[in-house]
Amino acid sequence: MTELLKIENLNKSFGALEVLKGIDLTVEKGETVVILGSSGSGKSTLLRCVNFMEIPTSGRIAIAGKPVGTERSRASGRIQVDYRESELIGIRATVGMVFQHFNLFPHMTAFGNVMEGPRTVLKLPRGECEARAETYLSKVGLADKMHSYPAHLSGGQQQRVAIARALAMEPQLMLFDEATSALDPELVGEVLQTIRSLADEGMTMLIVTHELGFAYSVASKVLFLSDGVILEQGAPDDVLVRPKQQRTRDFLRGHATYKLPDLAIT
Amino acid sequence: MGYEWDFGVVFRDFDLLLLGLVNTLKVTGLALLFGVPLGLILALLRLSRHGVIRIPVGIVIEFLRSTPPLVQLFWLFFALPILTGINITPFIASVVTFSFQSSAFFAEVFRGGIVSIEKGQWEAAKAIGMDRGQSMRRVILPQAVKRMIPAFLERVIELMKTTTLVATVSYADLLYEANTIAQATFRPLEVFTVAAAMYFAVLFPVSLFVRRLERRLGRTGEGTVH
Ligand SMILES: Nc1ncnc2c1ncn2[C@@H]1O[C@H](COP(=O)(O)OP(=O)(O)OP(=O)(O)O)[C@@H](O)[C@H]1O
Ligand SMILES: [Mg+2]
Repeated sequence: MTELLKIENLNKSFGALEVLKGIDLTVEKGETVVILGSSGSGKSTLLRCVNFMEIPTSGRIAIAGKPVGTERSRASGRIQVDYRESELIGIRATVGMVFQHFNLFPHMTAFGNVMEGPRTVLKLPRGECEARAETYLSKVGLADKMHSYPAHLSGGQQQRVAIARALAMEPQLMLFDEATSALDPELVGEVLQTIRSLADEGMTMLIVTHELGFAYSVASKVLFLSDGVILEQGAPDDVLVRPKQQRTRDFLRGHATYKLPDLAIT
Repeated sequence: MGYEWDFGVVFRDFDLLLLGLVNTLKVTGLALLFGVPLGLILALLRLSRHGVIRIPVGIVIEFLRSTPPLVQLFWLFFALPILTGINITPFIASVVTFSFQSSAFFAEVFRGGIVSIEKGQWEAAKAIGMDRGQSMRRVILPQAVKRMIPAFLERVIELMKTTTLVATVSYADLLYEANTIAQATFRPLEVFTVAAAMYFAVLFPVSLFVRRLERRLGRTGEGTVH
């Protein structure tokens, strides 16, 4: 197996507020890592550090074996990492991100949204951009909605377009930040289905979600984040079924208050 | 009081009024031609992340917005020649003044449109690897422009009305011509009535258009800025 993402002692503060306090995480190629944690525990911040939407305060991040940024020893003996914006732009182009609120470009059709990255960022020839838009919209099951504007799509469809938009960059890593939290319950399934099929195809993914059932079935590894540290991590069975930490148990209990009995019909 | 209206004298000199209207449109048009791009540049500079750019540009914009245009015009036409020894024509003085003056207002319209776009749009653009310039060009501005059109057109109407000030430096705009004719014919009532009607004839359709546009944008759920 090859290491796609290696995070070492990652710290992130906003002013005096320490949000991430020494995160270590290794993600192998093809792994699906699910990140759990209560509100404010730093899940979004962790994802946003991985594609450098936020600049880490300290620590190392390497993607596909390549450390991002240039390390420099400071007089104090501490190691400082300098980041060039051009390098970070290159990273973001190879790491896809899907947001809770989709953030589609409302002035472009679904097709335009998906084509935008290849066209403006990768500067591919028009024909190839169109081919990619078709490929990835079909992949998320929206071949028939290519020429619709986001305003005319359901939330689930919009989120699938957003996934296609990220995939069109042909990223080596995908980040999902509560991709289904803003959706009506009946639309959650189609989006989870799309993410699941990506997992099956071997896409490497970091997923923040509150859908525990989905997490259990899709994850190769589950992390429980609490107050900016990884309190517990391991296989879904270890973290979700046999958690060792009391905080993890409390969190899981809080999320499974109304568990349905197994369906009587088959 | 029985006043004998006589529009005959006005229409004898109507070609002068038309010429004045053309000159008014000329100053307005040129002020737009220079003021709009300059306004966009000022807006973008004022949104810069660097204080050394943002702050001085902000001061210039606020200065232009908070000084009377007539003072700006007089300063350029009467005061600047003392300083530089270069005399400029009323036409040049008018165009320069209103280009700068309107650019400051346009800058604020543009900036308002740009900052009204949700943060998520910047984020999505950034996340697929766009730099700030690309995000602005491809994602933010196309949406912002739609929102600022009504406010922008309001400003254009405002600009054309404000250009009446150029008459004070003897530039032969519509108001100046009207005043000349009024003094020669002793018929100010008729002359200024016709002049007002001519401004109205140009600006009212624009105003109606803005109203319609606002309703349409409002219907499609696109907010507009003022
Ligand atoms: N840009 C920022 N500036 C200042 N504080 C921030 C910023 N982004 C996040 N924070 C703070 O960092 C902490 C962690 O935020 P984060 O969004 O990572 O949490 P989260 O685990 O994703 O929570 P949620 O489940 O509510 O999305 C919070 O206290 C938040 O207020
Ligand atoms: Mg979050």
